[in-house]
This record gives sequence, structure tokens and C-alpha cells, in this order.
Amino acid sequence: MSEKRLIWFHGRECPHCRKLAPMVDQFEAESGIKLERLEVWHNEENATFMRSLAGSIAPACGGDLGVPAFYNEITGKAICGQVDMEKLVAWARG
Amino acid sequence: MKILWRCHVCNDIHLGNKAPEVCPTCGTRNAFVLSDMNEAIGIMGKNHPVIDTKQNVVTAWKQFSDQSPTIRLTDKIDEIELLSKGVLENLKNKGQRYCPCRITTGDRQMDLNLICPCNFLRQSVFKETGECWCGLFIKRDVK
Repeated sequence: MSEKRLIWFHGRECPHCRKLAPMVDQFEAESGIKLERLEVWHNEENATFMRSLAGSIAPACGGDLGVPAFYNEITGKAICGQVDMEKLVAWARG
Repeated sequence: MKILWRCHVCNDIHLGNKAPEVCPTCGTRNAFVLSDMNEAIGIMGKNHPVIDTKQNVVTAWKQFSDQSPTIRLTDKIDEIELLSKGVLENLKNKGQRYCPCRITTGDRQMDLNLICPCNFLRQSVFKETGECWCGLFIKRDVK
């Protein structure tokens, strides 16, 4: 069975994703936890995978799928939009 | 008074008191901007160029913003630059100028809601924050 992942869905031309990138880098460096980064506008496989999780992610994004979005495969919890470090850590810890 | 409106996606011209919510030709929502007789005559009977350059996209966004009493285009130039690049990438790869901060569903009718400027006025994030999901369009009373 494959290992459960912490996933960051992002878009190459999404300004919020760009702004979040340094914070995600910092989170990974400080926590030692690596996020799986999946780009969804230029990779259809990633987009299809994200759509399959719409039931969990869309409500966190205000009703529609959007990026940046974070999905925890262990807890099934999603957070979406311009999140802060505190929220990201809480999401990762479940 | 009846005035002219133009769909900034497909250049349909409409004469009426209000802009149509949905363009009858391309199906895009909230896409009509104010037009005038000169522009309408320039469009009629010609193969009007598609809005497929960064400059034309930003011009369409500015027109959309200028004709609205309630929303304006962000003044963050770098974000306008990145988002216009994104919608043009999506036009090239997906066939429409979809919002680069949302994701298509594969259902054409639903995805029409994602063509920029999208139907953000109805979205909960706009009601809560005063910005569209991307932050491209902002309520005029929000700093």
C-alpha cells in the first residue's frame, strides 16, 4: 500500500500559490515534513486527481475547486486559499 | 435608455437597458462591457480578432472594471501580469480563458463560470473578503 501523503495542489500562474511557496519551504525546513507538490493547470493527471477529491477540497475553497489547496491523505482534511503557518501546521498534524 | 454592450469574450454586441448576464453566443457569464456605435460598427461584418494577447486581455479587464460601480481591477501590476499570462495559457491549453486559480470540472456548462472575469460576485469568498478568488477584482470600498 502506498504511503499517505500531505499534498499541496497549486497552479503555475496563481499569484497566491507563488506567495505561499516561501512559507511552504519554511514549513518543510522547520518540520522536516515534505509536501507533495502537484501542479494542476499544466498536468492533467494531477487535475484529475484533485477533482477526485472535490468532496473534501471544494467545501474548503468556498464551494468550487481552487488553488492553493492542501490535502492531508491521513486525515482527509483540506485547507484552501491564502493560509498562514499556524493553519498549515495544524492541518499537517491533523 | 438602451445602450450598446459588447461581450469581451466573443465580441457579441447587445442593445439594451442592461448587459445580459450570460452571453447567448459563447455562454460566458458577466462578460458584457459598455460599448458604443463606433466600436459596434467596427465589429459588425468583420472577423474580429480573438482576445488572445496579454494587452487585449488586460484591456478587457480594465473595461470590465471601468464599467462597474462596485468593483475595480487590482493595482498590483505583477499579479495582473501573472494572471493574464495564466488565462492565456489556459486559452491555449484548454480552449477558454479560465481562471488560473480555479480548476475546470470537465462539465462545459459549469466551467463557463470559470472564464475570467468569472461569476465571483456570487461566490462566498467575494462576499466575505471583497475580492475574487485570485484577488484580481476587488470591491471598490475595500483597500
